[in-house]
Amino acid sequence: MTFSRPLKFLAALLTVIGVSSILSVAVTTKNFSESYPLVVCPPTLDGLGSQISLSSKKTPFQKLQNRTSKTAPVKVLRLPVIKDSLVITSEGVTPVVWQSRSGSWAGGALCTGPASSQWFVGGTADVTSRGRLLIVNSGLSDAVVDVESFTENGKQALRSTKVAAKNFLVISLDSLAPGDKKLAVHVAPRSGRINAFMIDEQVKGLKALGGDLVNPVAVVSKSVVIPAIPNQFSKTSPALPHTLRVLTPGEVDATITVEVLSADGIFVPVGLNSRLISAGIVTEFQLDPKIAANFMAVRISATEPIVAAVKSTVAVKGKNDFVWSTAAPELVPLTMAITGLTPFISFTGDQINISLDVTLINGKVSRQNVKGTDIAKWRVPENARSFTIVKVGAATFAGALVSSTNGYGYFPIAAGSPLTKIEVPDSNIRVLNP
Amino acid sequence: MASQADVDKHRVTAVLVSHNGALWLPEVVAALTSQTRPIDLITAVDTGSEDASTKLLKSARIPFFTTDRATGFGQAISLAVEKLPQSIEHEWIWLIHDDCAPAPTALAELLSAIDDRPQVVMVGPKLLGWHDRTHLLEAGISIAGNGARWTGLEPLEYDQGQHDGIHDVLSVSTAGALIRRDVFEELGGLDKNLALFRDDVDFGWRARTAGHSVIVATSAVAFHAQASATERRIIDVEGAFLHRPLHLDRRNAAYVLLANSSWWMIPWIAIQLFGSAIARAFGYLLAKLPGYASDEILAFTSLILRPGIILEARKVRKKQRFVSARVVAPFIPPRWSQLRLGTEHLLEMIRTKVFPDNNLGTDSILDSVEDEDLLTPVNTNSWLAIFKRPEVLGFLSIAIVSLANSRNRFGALVGGALPISPSGATDLWRTYFESWHEVGMGSSLATPSWVAVTAIASLAVLGKVQFLITAFFLIAPILMMWSCFNLLKKLTGNSWISIPGAFLYAISPVTIAAVSSGHIATLLLMIFVPYVALILHDWWGIETYSWRKVFAVSLLFSMLYAFTLMSFVIAFTAAISITIDNYGEYSVTKDKTVWRERVFKRSAVVFVPFLVNAPFSFEALIHPSRFLTEPGLVTPGGGPLVVLLGNPGGTGSIPLWLVSPILLILVISLFSSTHARRIAEYGLGALSLAILVGSLSVATHGNEGKAKVWAGPVLTIVTLAAVAAGTVMLDRLRQTLVLSHIHYRHVLSAILLLITGSYAVLAIGYSVTAGANSAVQANRTTVMPAFLSVETQTKILVLREITSAKEKKIQYYISRGQDISLGEPDVAPKQNVAIATAARALIDGTGITSSKTLSDYGIKYVFVKSPFDKDVIRLIDGIGGFTRTSATSLGVVWSVNQPTGRLLFVNQEGVRTALETEVLGANTSVPSAGTLILTESSNRSWQVLQNGYRLPRTNNEMGLPTFKVTEAGEISVIHDGTVRRAWLSLQVIFLVIVIVMTLPAGRRKREISEKELA
Repeated sequence: MTFSRPLKFLAALLTVIGVSSILSVAVTTKNFSESYPLVVCPPTLDGLGSQISLSSKKTPFQKLQNRTSKTAPVKVLRLPVIKDSLVITSEGVTPVVWQSRSGSWAGGALCTGPASSQWFVGGTADVTSRGRLLIVNSGLSDAVVDVESFTENGKQALRSTKVAAKNFLVISLDSLAPGDKKLAVHVAPRSGRINAFMIDEQVKGLKALGGDLVNPVAVVSKSVVIPAIPNQFSKTSPALPHTLRVLTPGEVDATITVEVLSADGIFVPVGLNSRLISAGIVTEFQLDPKIAANFMAVRISATEPIVAAVKSTVAVKGKNDFVWSTAAPELVPLTMAITGLTPFISFTGDQINISLDVTLINGKVSRQNVKGTDIAKWRVPENARSFTIVKVGAATFAGALVSSTNGYGYFPIAAGSPLTKIEVPDSNIRVLNP
Repeated sequence: MASQADVDKHRVTAVLVSHNGALWLPEVVAALTSQTRPIDLITAVDTGSEDASTKLLKSARIPFFTTDRATGFGQAISLAVEKLPQSIEHEWIWLIHDDCAPAPTALAELLSAIDDRPQVVMVGPKLLGWHDRTHLLEAGISIAGNGARWTGLEPLEYDQGQHDGIHDVLSVSTAGALIRRDVFEELGGLDKNLALFRDDVDFGWRARTAGHSVIVATSAVAFHAQASATERRIIDVEGAFLHRPLHLDRRNAAYVLLANSSWWMIPWIAIQLFGSAIARAFGYLLAKLPGYASDEILAFTSLILRPGIILEARKVRKKQRFVSARVVAPFIPPRWSQLRLGTEHLLEMIRTKVFPDNNLGTDSILDSVEDEDLLTPVNTNSWLAIFKRPEVLGFLSIAIVSLANSRNRFGALVGGALPISPSGATDLWRTYFESWHEVGMGSSLATPSWVAVTAIASLAVLGKVQFLITAFFLIAPILMMWSCFNLLKKLTGNSWISIPGAFLYAISPVTIAAVSSGHIATLLLMIFVPYVALILHDWWGIETYSWRKVFAVSLLFSMLYAFTLMSFVIAFTAAISITIDNYGEYSVTKDKTVWRERVFKRSAVVFVPFLVNAPFSFEALIHPSRFLTEPGLVTPGGGPLVVLLGNPGGTGSIPLWLVSPILLILVISLFSSTHARRIAEYGLGALSLAILVGSLSVATHGNEGKAKVWAGPVLTIVTLAAVAAGTVMLDRLRQTLVLSHIHYRHVLSAILLLITGSYAVLAIGYSVTAGANSAVQANRTTVMPAFLSVETQTKILVLREITSAKEKKIQYYISRGQDISLGEPDVAPKQNVAIATAARALIDGTGITSSKTLSDYGIKYVFVKSPFDKDVIRLIDGIGGFTRTSATSLGVVWSVNQPTGRLLFVNQEGVRTALETEVLGANTSVPSAGTLILTESSNRSWQVLQNGYRLPRTNNEMGLPTFKVTEAGEISVIHDGTVRRAWLSLQVIFLVIVIVMTLPAGRRKREISEKELA
């Protein structure tokens, strides 16, 4: 028996395999379209002042209620907003809006792209409340939004509301749960291009108790990091009080452990180790750490997904104000416009190693590095228009504290308009087959 | 002789008519002279014989005279009778054909029968075959309503005396008929218009209506060669067109019926005659006897075009009639008996073909095994022993595995490559015949032939297509095991090898994948490829095949091509390879005849099915990707390396860790010294093709993105080759291993068997567990919500996330309100560029003009099927131009803000409105002059008619058909299907030709041996 013929066959088979491997180029069936969604800044309500920090004078914007799609350049680096909400084509730069009531309070928030879920932990619905929930629909179609409120008395009735196209809606916080003190609100649009903002403003009679813009978080999580909490000292007490507000939105009670991180070290406050939180009940704890540092961070680990924020009492030029420090997402490379704000930024993480590029008003760019363990601080130069996080280590969080003549504010360092990678669809009749 | 007449009071004159009957005449003359009751007078007439007939008559001393060649039988008889002496009482004329030999007692028996029956004027003998004298030809005759000569006998009926006796009949054959002379003359003899054939029936009919009686006396016997009817001699009588006996017979049959029947029966009889002529002509065409077919048609038309003859004949009969015409009614066979006899004949033919009578062996006593019977033990096994037979165990096992695997597939199947089936076959026929398919933006692509095949197959289940598909997927593994077993039986006589081999074939990777992913064509190939291997086992030397066999194979290939043109690719590749091989032989032998015949026959096998599948197959030349697809949706294959293992890969395929032994068996067989080596060469050749095909990517069947070709159809060959090679190898190896000491072959065999056994166990395990949760499932919820189906003719842009094992992908398509159904993906058009851009812009949020684009193309809604990325839904909300109309758990629907529809009208001011339309051929009215835009893909068959005129058609900048309307009024929108009908006609012609060529050829009567005839 000769093997030449079988061997020829095998050789032919191997040749075919080789040729096929060349022919068989990987079929890439996915194409993507990358874009930064337009960001929306909150409207300015009566009696309030508002400025938006921008990184470029050429940044296009339009007023929310403009019926055309035409935009105009901002022409300034800090844009005062008279009334209407603005839609800004910021292309990856996150503008920061700074709102204040003259001589009463101030607060900061990020202008962000539309969100499918926003949790606001802050505000009150009792008699002191002058707070409002602003729901902005920047889309060209009417939107329907579900507003779900939680208080110390549990979950409130769901409120669904319609927001007209290119318009916004103002809801008083005291209408969400009349009389209740501890409020957490979940805004979930059923349809539409929706952004929500919360203003927590409190008065007692004619006396202003302060106010703040409450920054939202997108998701509930078992691990929450609030990276920047001001810790001011007064003449009469070691430190002004802090209140930790926590909610477990799910159906199961959660057990939480709170760690305070500061330049003085990390410790778990008394009574906040393995503390049970009832599901659906907004719970508050006094947080009065005995630390010398003038800022701190809080890290909460829970057995169930939670949302949390810390309300800190601050004093600015002899007047009381308060700040809602909210959770921040993990820090990623981003650019934030901070013209005119000079924020103090607190970084939290096991190993902090951050490179930043700071762009000054005059256009110069300087590289800064921030390193540390557990918590680190960095003050943005006064003449900076923006900073860019160029490099960041894993599990690092950041928040900014801003002090102004009218009050004290906080905003998380997060991308307001992350790069959105949308898959370009293919035509395939398969979509019509179950 | 005179003394004999005195005894029985009868006088008999035999009249013998001869015409080229020298072959039979000696025996006839001998028969006449040897009658026990001597004939009183014999006279003969020769009608211009050119053989030795006259010499024979002369030598027999029979007085005769000669007439013209064109003289008919009846005329010859009349001439002879005229020359006889004056008629006397009880004188009888005995009509004798030159091919009819009466038995010695025939005349005596005939006279005996009429002795005490004075009313009888015509009596005939029982006619038996000339050669087979047990074959009963006639015992009295009649005529059926369709003109058929009716004997009431079965074909080739054996004479056992079952019809014996004296019976009243309509008539008897003139061969051996004894007719009373006075009545014969009174009725004018045999009709002159009936020169040959049917003159006997006509005479009997006339005798009956004249008040006489006709009987058959079966004690009298004659042997008849039926030389004219069986074309043993040329007929030269007047009126025999081109000497064709069938033509004359049919013409005369029609004449008899039309001349003798009641007036009120004439229309019905004419219809019957014409209908049966057409049916018989069709049958003759199928039997490849066009001459006979033309005889059938011409015979009737030639008579009907000359009604004067009929009218004259009816006048004569009217004068002769003394009793009601209804007197013959009992002798005309009822229609049901014709039907019964016809059906029995047909069934007998089929039975003979299917179960040929094989007991043609000798009946010699030497072959008797009676003694052996004594030694054969009595079988005392219980019926449970049947379960120990490998066939029973094997088929029972595959049935159980298939049932377990199909547990989620009891109901209307959908998923994978398989769209939902329509509930009835009529929907499939509609899809097949329609010239315009409402799929996507519309398509005029030719529906593949498999749709028609499926529709025909569904007739077996009363048109329930869904049931057919479900049943097919359930029993396909059993059928493929059966077909493979039939092949393997030829390779080994050991069922313990062939049954496991067939079982492995039925649980092969390609089977499991095809069932799980809904690949109908692959399953069909798996069933039929073993039969193809059986038929084409001598593919190399195809010149030995008859053309009929070649066309039979072409017909089978036509069905396989109909389901997938990949079978054409396989056949073409195989043909090329073998032809190259043949050329090697030709270059040595230089035998051009064999070489050409091989090339022609092989080309016929490969290309004739291609023609039969026109126009679907022709379109594949324009869209070559169609050569690599199967019915239904495109599901990607696994690529060349997966295919190498005999696994097509992709959705529903077995996991990669479940490696089949296919490649291993083929490689080992390649080094075998048995026939397995040749089989393995075919297998590896097919595997190479499968790898090559599997490495290609195509975008077709409504899928814009390229997908790896599913190589399942080619892998069927590979799998079969591996199973066949393994069977051959194991069959021979078993003997070798049994007889030899343990050595490396034992070890290698054990390893191979272990691997094969492991695969079988794991494949069964996979099949009945995870395999049951395949892409193809029963009774799935539809994609499109019911409320979107309410508006007919509404186009909807559907966006959906398609999830597969590897990825999640956003895809879109245009729906007409419902999910796609069987056959539609095959004709799905390519997506329009503008719509594609609009859909993409919709997703990435830049689609400010998406709404306008969609409305321009008549798309009324956008439907996003849940689950879907909520950010994208918000983007669509924010884009503008759309109004959200519903959001349910099924998905979100937006309506396009601008007015749109299937038919748009733009008036002279530029205002656009949507016109109300119904189904494909829309009838509506336009309010004024303007432009009509049909939001369907451009096609030259689109027409708009107004006031009976076609409106001029152009394509607008979007490529949509646009019509200029000059005035208000009613319009009709139609898609002219003439081209499609023309193609279908061509396909039918090709198909009929192939069927005719496949059917067994009929034989002319002169080609049938006399032994077969009688």
